[in-house]
Amino acid sequence: MTVLDREPSEAVKPVARRVLPPPVTGQELVLVAVIAVLWVLLGIFTPSFLSPSSIQPLLVSVAPIALIGVGMTFIIITAGIDVSVGGAIALCAVVTAKLLVNYAVPLPVAVAASMALGLVLGLVNGTLIAYGRVHAIIITFGTANIFQFFALRVFGSSTVNNIPATLDVFGRGDVGRTFGVPHSFAITILVVLLAWWYLRHTAGGRHLFAIGGNANAARLAGVKVQPRVLLAYAITGTLVGLGACFLIAAGTSTLDQGVGIGRELAVIAAVVIGGTSILGGRGSVIGTLLGAILVQTVTSGVTQLGWPSQLANLFVGLFIIIAVGTDLLRERARRRKA
Amino acid sequence: MSTTTAAKPAKPVETRSLGSRALEALLTQRIVLLAVLIVVLLIVMTILDSAGALSGSYNSDYLAASLINAVPLAMLGLAQLLVILSGRGGIDLSVGSMVSVTGIAFGMAYGLWGWNLVTAMLFAVVLGGILGGINGALVAYVGFPPLIATLATFYAYRSVALVWSDQKPVNSAGIQAFYSAAKAIELPVIGASLPLIPLGIFTFLIPVVIVVWILLNKTTFGRRVYAAGTNDTAAVWAGINVRPNRLLVYVLSGVISGLVGIVTVAQFASARPDAGTSGNGMALPAITIAVLGGVAITGGIGRVAGVVLATVLIVWLNAGILLAFPGNDGVQVQLLALGLVLVFASLLNGLTRRKYGGI
Repeated sequence: MTVLDREPSEAVKPVARRVLPPPVTGQELVLVAVIAVLWVLLGIFTPSFLSPSSIQPLLVSVAPIALIGVGMTFIIITAGIDVSVGGAIALCAVVTAKLLVNYAVPLPVAVAASMALGLVLGLVNGTLIAYGRVHAIIITFGTANIFQFFALRVFGSSTVNNIPATLDVFGRGDVGRTFGVPHSFAITILVVLLAWWYLRHTAGGRHLFAIGGNANAARLAGVKVQPRVLLAYAITGTLVGLGACFLIAAGTSTLDQGVGIGRELAVIAAVVIGGTSILGGRGSVIGTLLGAILVQTVTSGVTQLGWPSQLANLFVGLFIIIAVGTDLLRERARRRKA
Repeated sequence: MSTTTAAKPAKPVETRSLGSRALEALLTQRIVLLAVLIVVLLIVMTILDSAGALSGSYNSDYLAASLINAVPLAMLGLAQLLVILSGRGGIDLSVGSMVSVTGIAFGMAYGLWGWNLVTAMLFAVVLGGILGGINGALVAYVGFPPLIATLATFYAYRSVALVWSDQKPVNSAGIQAFYSAAKAIELPVIGASLPLIPLGIFTFLIPVVIVVWILLNKTTFGRRVYAAGTNDTAAVWAGINVRPNRLLVYVLSGVISGLVGIVTVAQFASARPDAGTSGNGMALPAITIAVLGGVAITGGIGRVAGVVLATVLIVWLNAGILLAFPGNDGVQVQLLALGLVLVFASLLNGLTRRKYGGI
């Protein structure tokens, strides 16, 4: 989905046309088809799969991954990466849970506090990466450990118990749905659409692609590279804060220390399955949403088929290889044609 | 430069003070920095020890015993060194999962199927090589970004280890007896005056260090790894066949993971399916060690000695933290220390690059 993937045609165009990428890409259509086939197959082999009581929890579990995946897509489009979201989720979740338990704060305060904390963590990453000029993966490996440390300190013991039901409006229960649609999933869809519009139709969004394509060229073309990169990490941090609230709501009244472990890889998996190039300069948030749905479908499907639940990760790995592999082959074919 | 030129360029006079040159050596020579940090650590800990601030004594016996943790860490750090050196975003996130799979394979073969020790070890190592080969083929021949290829295989291999072992540790009398491979021994001849040193250092770590050092510094393969890591295109035009070269780097990472798999079976006295992936896993600390040891994430820069010294620093720092913060606190502070050291090291890399032009 590069901006300029076609050479100017032989005839000289009188007026420079606004170049927009197609609204949806091939990768997204393929993902929709794969998800549809999987849902039909699962519907045939496990009759209960296509019932609301199975799809609704699936969507609730998609929400935090896709939501944080939106931020991660921004970051990866700028050719960065953030492996600290697992630690950041743990820290936001435990602070919010403690606020709910110890101070019985109302819903807006809890969500705002979690998002504000996430924003601060994102700003830490973004500042180090944009202004410290160090490689994103290394810095975020470091901050992942630091965030995890603070999360464990706040936890104190191994779990936070008796979390009040304040956040249930984002949860699995009846309170968490309107007309059968889970609120957390609806919010995620809204954020995805906003992000899609931002990336496609605003200068700021196009700048992110430019930075990922070639940061130096972008800077020479007048893009303020460092503030834009900082913004991508700040957005991710804020979404991590909201995602942490979703995770608390989707769980039981107990939060345990492992809440963030492995989530960074799940988010990155959703993003790359969605067709975002890890090398930067190419990507879509709709793909990320579909990637998250695919991953959760596999996870939930494996359980419902009665297979060992650990097998799900094997399929996630294979999906990453297939998704990125077909993308690579398509790219190669495109280059040969050009 | 022609000798007939009238004015020979004057030899640059070293006008800078000893202090500024020492600072440059400290910043640009990662090995110097690490050695200084190790000495500082030992001095600080000894002072704390004599002040009675520690829950145990930080002496040579304790330091030697803690080196058992250096065996898997340094070996996987060397695996990351090889992979990161090879360039084009080289990284191997799947080492922890490969450790789990090969550990289970070794446990099955040695403990349950009754193979003899050498065959079982060979099985684990060859399997590690095959798993690494899959990574390498994806990266070198299909063109996957290494981060993605090894993220995918991290998931896949971890799943294989858990499903294969039915999520239960593999255990038998033979495996429990194999625990002796991880015990501490007294060195012959000079050993009486030295602390007991874990056997794994001699049987696994030192051979791997020597082999990797020879491979990187004394073979054409090693020179090609540095060449391709520094500039892939230039390496191609210099006539280097970069693909098999890059494949081999990932195979070696798998082989080393296989050896670590055997080591962890010995350490735990059972083959655990989550040996390499529980908690933060083994890949993150290994990458941390490599970066701390001066390996540039962009490829082409890094030395074996840096990785070894970085391991010693981290292991002794962790050992000290456990004494200074007893119990669960210590484990948490270790996380903080690892994170701070990594951020500090990479900021330092950036600083030296700007000030002195590369490390």
